[in-house]
Amino acid sequence: MLLKTLQLFNFKNHADLRLDFKPGINAITGSNGSGKTNVLDAIFFLSNGKSFFNSIDSQLVRMSADFFSIHGWFEEDVDILVQFDTQRKKTIKRNEKAYKRLIDHIGYLQTVFITPYDIALVNEGSEERRRFVDFTLCQTSPSYLQALSQYKKALDARNALLKAAEGRPLDTILLEAYDDKLAGPGQYIADARAEFSKEFFGLLKAVWNHLSGPNDELNWTYETQWSQPQSYRTFLAEAHAQDCQAGRSTRGIHKDDWVFELNGQSLKRMGSQGQIKSAIIAIKLAQFDYFKSKTGKTPVLLLDDIFEKIDKQRSDALIQWVGSGRMPQIFITDTHYERIRSHTEQLGLELSQHHL
Amino acid sequence: MQYTSEVVEQAVEALSGFPGIGRRTALRLVMHLLKRPDMEVARLAEALLKLKTDLFVCKICNNVSDGETCQVCSNPAREASLICVVEDYSDQMAIESTGQYRGVYHILSGLISPMDGIGPEDIHVNSLLKRAEDGSVNEVIMALSATVEGDTTMYYLARKLKDYGVKTSCIARGIAVGGEIEYADEITLARSLQQRTPYSV
Ligand SMILES: [Zn+2]
Repeated sequence: MLLKTLQLFNFKNHADLRLDFKPGINAITGSNGSGKTNVLDAIFFLSNGKSFFNSIDSQLVRMSADFFSIHGWFEEDVDILVQFDTQRKKTIKRNEKAYKRLIDHIGYLQTVFITPYDIALVNEGSEERRRFVDFTLCQTSPSYLQALSQYKKALDARNALLKAAEGRPLDTILLEAYDDKLAGPGQYIADARAEFSKEFFGLLKAVWNHLSGPNDELNWTYETQWSQPQSYRTFLAEAHAQDCQAGRSTRGIHKDDWVFELNGQSLKRMGSQGQIKSAIIAIKLAQFDYFKSKTGKTPVLLLDDIFEKIDKQRSDALIQWVGSGRMPQIFITDTHYERIRSHTEQLGLELSQHHL
Repeated sequence: MQYTSEVVEQAVEALSGFPGIGRRTALRLVMHLLKRPDMEVARLAEALLKLKTDLFVCKICNNVSDGETCQVCSNPAREASLICVVEDYSDQMAIESTGQYRGVYHILSGLISPMDGIGPEDIHVNSLLKRAEDGSVNEVIMALSATVEGDTTMYYLARKLKDYGVKTSCIARGIAVGGEIEYADEITLARSLQQRTPYSV
């Protein structure tokens, strides 16, 4: 879906900014600190109802202001408006109609955001990878989103109970009541993640081979504590004593992880910086292909400062992949317009500059 | 905000503690009261005081009551072997106003919620189990919210009541009357399918 116009009020450093975009490549340029990445984050916000970088909305309001708004006008007369007011709550409107629940907006418009911070996907803890997988699945499956939200609520309550017990044994029936609430969504999420992991791996391999050639073999495996035929409830019940001692829920899909391997060895420990960067780009492009295959719509692609942080060979391969006739609109930030132009001229796409 | 009268300040302070009422609304209520006749304000004050002096909690079901036992519990026409468990007084009134229910009630005065530090011992669970103890109760209908707190409280009660051989049930959850299926969320719909009821003509 083409974004035609973006209007920001008091969003991060932008007091009042209006940008008119075009099909093809939209180069967002400006010096460091001019707020280029914030423009991309605003576009991300329109699709996901929250910032890519900071989930605390009040911290996104420009200094000394008490509200922010992000308004995007798309093709086919669609407009999305996000309003946040420090006094009141956040609202999201599509074509002037406010959503009753914000989560109902999720999945309407997909974005893939490639940023230098993506390195956390490989280098940081399992939480980063769960967030990535959950985000990808929530965008394409309302049932997953619902299961995840139910699971989180029940898990928070169960953890509060265990924490309050301070290591003392608890009434088994009370713990079972939470196991009962966790079992349905927990099993659903585990199944969905397993299926997703298989499907996603297929897409990842295709992109990876394009970016790196066939010599290096990238593998990603889903790791979870629970497996069939054991019932999820028994799986949880077995850990009661352990949970009471630890003061938290030690078992469950909130512990899941995905492991990246390059040629049979840990990518995080053995991979070169270049290989890790390639893997991350491949993951994000596979996410792009996943969204497209699931929704039939082309996601919005946001590329943050990639030419600065990624070497020419990789960024060329990236641009080739995204430019092979599949992207109607791309947003790229860079301090130098000339760099974007030289990297993208081979694509033959229309290029427009928006200087901040 | 600073008021020129300490009396107004105190009234605003007292009113702004109510649910949904901030200082602005509290001030509006105070201004309104100032304009009303003395008698009317006196009646309001009296009604408020009576809530504390003349109101009892039913010793059987924990419902608000004018005497030791409430009107429902002391009504011989109500089926004492059928108990409907609700979270609070307003839920009890909602069910009573359907005019469909002939049993008695049990008010929990809350739901199990570890996040708020509320355990089974903090709500009226034990008095319910006591009522079920002597075998005079046939069925307990649980009419609790479809939230994590409501669901876990139901599970807990059902497991405890099982030991007394009491039949437990929970009110049906599904598509709202007048609701369209395509607008129902998937979990509600899946549940409605699972717990479908026979339909015969
Ligand atoms: Zn009573």
